[in-house]
Amino acid sequence: MSGAHGMVAQLAKFAGALRSHGIRIGLGDEVDAGLALARVDLIDRDEVHRALLIAFKVPRDAWATFDRLFDEYWAGDIAPEPPVAPQAAFRDHRGPAQWQWDGQRVRITIADGQQEVGDDEQPGYSAEPLLRQKPFDELSTAELSAMERLVARLALRLATRRRRRLVPTRGRGVVDLRRSFREALGTEGELLWLARRTQALEEPRLVLLYDTSGSMDAYTRVLLTFALALRRVIKRVEIFTFNTALTRVTRVVAPARMAQTLERLAAAVPDWSGGTRIGSCLAQFVEGYSSAMVNRHTTVVIVSDGLDLGDTTLLTRSMEALRSRAGRIVWLNPLMGDARYRPTAAGMSAALPYVDHFAPAHNLESLEGLLRVVK
Amino acid sequence: MNEDIRAMQALMERHGYVADPAVATAVYLAKEMRKPLLVEGEAGVGKTEIAKVLARALATELIRLQCYEGLDTNTALYEWNYQRQLLRLRIAEQEGRDPAQLEDLIFGREYLLERPLLKAITRREGPPVLLIDEIDRADDGFEAFLLEVLSDFQVTIPELGTIRAEHVPIVVLTSNRSREIGDALRRRCLYLYMEHPDLEKELRILRLKVPDLDEQLAHTIARFVQRLRQRDLRKLPGVAETIDWAKALVRLHQERLDAQIVSATLGCLLKDEHDVRKTGEEAVAELLAYVAAGE
Repeated sequence: MSGAHGMVAQLAKFAGALRSHGIRIGLGDEVDAGLALARVDLIDRDEVHRALLIAFKVPRDAWATFDRLFDEYWAGDIAPEPPVAPQAAFRDHRGPAQWQWDGQRVRITIADGQQEVGDDEQPGYSAEPLLRQKPFDELSTAELSAMERLVARLALRLATRRRRRLVPTRGRGVVDLRRSFREALGTEGELLWLARRTQALEEPRLVLLYDTSGSMDAYTRVLLTFALALRRVIKRVEIFTFNTALTRVTRVVAPARMAQTLERLAAAVPDWSGGTRIGSCLAQFVEGYSSAMVNRHTTVVIVSDGLDLGDTTLLTRSMEALRSRAGRIVWLNPLMGDARYRPTAAGMSAALPYVDHFAPAHNLESLEGLLRVVK
Repeated sequence: MNEDIRAMQALMERHGYVADPAVATAVYLAKEMRKPLLVEGEAGVGKTEIAKVLARALATELIRLQCYEGLDTNTALYEWNYQRQLLRLRIAEQEGRDPAQLEDLIFGREYLLERPLLKAITRREGPPVLLIDEIDRADDGFEAFLLEVLSDFQVTIPELGTIRAEHVPIVVLTSNRSREIGDALRRRCLYLYMEHPDLEKELRILRLKVPDLDEQLAHTIARFVQRLRQRDLRKLPGVAETIDWAKALVRLHQERLDAQIVSATLGCLLKDEHDVRKTGEEAVAELLAYVAAGE
C-alpha cells in the first residue's frame, strides 16, 4: 500500500486541479480534507466523494465541475491530466466583433474589416464645467482621470445607508447602559452622564449589470470607469456584463490600470459588441446569483439602452423577481442624453415599471443628477 | 460505508430525522473533527432540524442563537444585569462601603446575564449543541466576531477576564443564502449543501413523521410534491409543508387525492399568494395526471 503519503500527494494534486478550475480551495481546506479522509471508508468511493465535498466546502454551483474532476482524479490508477489554463481558450472565441485598447480609446473591429469608434480628437484636458457636460464618448485620457474622481464620489453616495447595528456616538442616539454604567463607577455609582449609541453607516452594497452590446459601444470606456470607481470605493460590489449571455467580471475588473482591465475583459467576455438579450441575461442573473448577492440593502444598477432582441415577458418576469429582492433598482440609459429619445423600446418599456430611478448616463452631469434623486 | 457514519445515520433516524448519507457524513465529521458545520440550502429542506435532532440524539442541551439584522454582542454573548447592579450599589451606599470595593462587587458572575454564545461555552455538563440559525441575516460585522469566538472558544469580558470553554460545543450554522457567507467563516467550518429530498427520501420522511398515513396515499403525496417543485414557483414547498399537508389529509380522512381536495388544501403547500394563483385548476389537473400515470 502506498500509505498515507500517497494519499496526501493525491489530495494535493486534486486540490490543485480544483483550484485551476476556479474552485477556491485554501491550504486549510486541504488539511480538513486530509483529516476527513482519515475518518471515512476509503474503499467506498461515494463516501470519499461526500467527505471531500464537505471538507473542501464546495459551493452548489461548482458541483458539476467537482464531480467531473473527481471522476478524473479519483478513479483509481489513472494518471491525472495536468490542468490547462482556462484563459487561453477564451481569446479565440470573441464573437463577430473584435475590439482592442490602443492606449487611448477602444477600437472596435467588425468582422468584415470596417473600423468604428469616435473621431480622432486631440487628447487634452477640459475644465470641470465643460467636462461635466461632455458626452462620455468624446473624453480624452486626461479628462477620464479627472472624471474618475468625480465618479468615485458619486459611487460612494449612491449606495450608502445606515445599519441597524448600533455603535457608540457622541451625538444623539439610544442610551448605552453598559458604557454609561462603567462611566458611573468613577463617580461612585452616580449616573452623571449617559453614553449613547446610534446606527452605523452601512458598507454599501452594489450590483452592477452592464450592457456591452453593439449599441452601447460609445459609452463603454467611461461606464467601465464608473465600474472601476465603484470597485475602489465599495468593497462589496459585483460587476456583470451582458449581451447575449451573462458574464461575471467582478474579479476581472480590478482597480488596477485601465488598459490591463480592458485587456482582461476582452478575454473574459464572449460576444462583446454583439446584440442584447436583456431578458434572458437578467433571468440568468436572478437564477444564479440574486439569492446570494441581492437583498433589501442592495442597490442594483443596470446600465443599458434597453434595446432588446429577446422576449420581453422574460424581462418582465426577471425584473419582477429583482424588484422583490433588491432595495433599489437604478437604470442608467445613455440614450436618454438625446433629447429625441423616448423610452419606447420594447425592452425598456417592459422594465420601466420596476425601476426606482431611471436616469440618463451619457455624461457626468447626468450621473450627478442621479445622485440628487437617490439622496 | 464507515460503520460510525452508518451508526450516526441510524441514531438520527431513531430520533425522527431521515438523514441521507451526505448529512450523516457531515454531522459525523463535524463531531469528530470538532469543527463547526455550516449547512446551506433553500428554506424548508431541514437544516435547523439537524441541530435539534443532534442534541436529542446525543442527549445534550440545544442552545440556539437566532440571527437577525442588527444582532450585536450584547444579545449574542453577554450583558450585565444593570438593574441588579444599581440596586446593589444603592445598598452598598447605605452600608457606607468603600467605593473602591464596589467594582469587584458588582462585576461578579452573578451579575452577568449569559446569552447563547457564552452559555454554550460555559456549560459544564459535557458539550452542548450550539445552533446559530440563519447566519446570513446577521451583518458581516457580527460574522467577523463569530469567527473569533468559533476559532478560540474563549471570550474576554473586560471586567471579568477571559472565559475558556469547558467543553468545545458542537456547532451547527445554517444559512438560507440570502447573502454570501464570508470566506473566512466558511473556511472555518465544514460545509454541507442540502437540496430538497428526492422521492425515496421524502417517502421515508412521511412514513416516519406521519405514521398513520396510508402507504398508497403517501406515495401519491410524495410524487405530487416532487412534481410541484419542478414548477416555476417563488417559494418551493419544503419538507415541513409536505408533512403538514399529509397530516391535514389524514385529519380530513382522505384516502386519495382529487382536484377538489387539492385545491382546498393547497395552502398547506404554497405559502406565496403569487404561487397559489399560478397553481390553478389546470395546473392541479396536470399534476394529478402526472401522479396517476405513475401508479
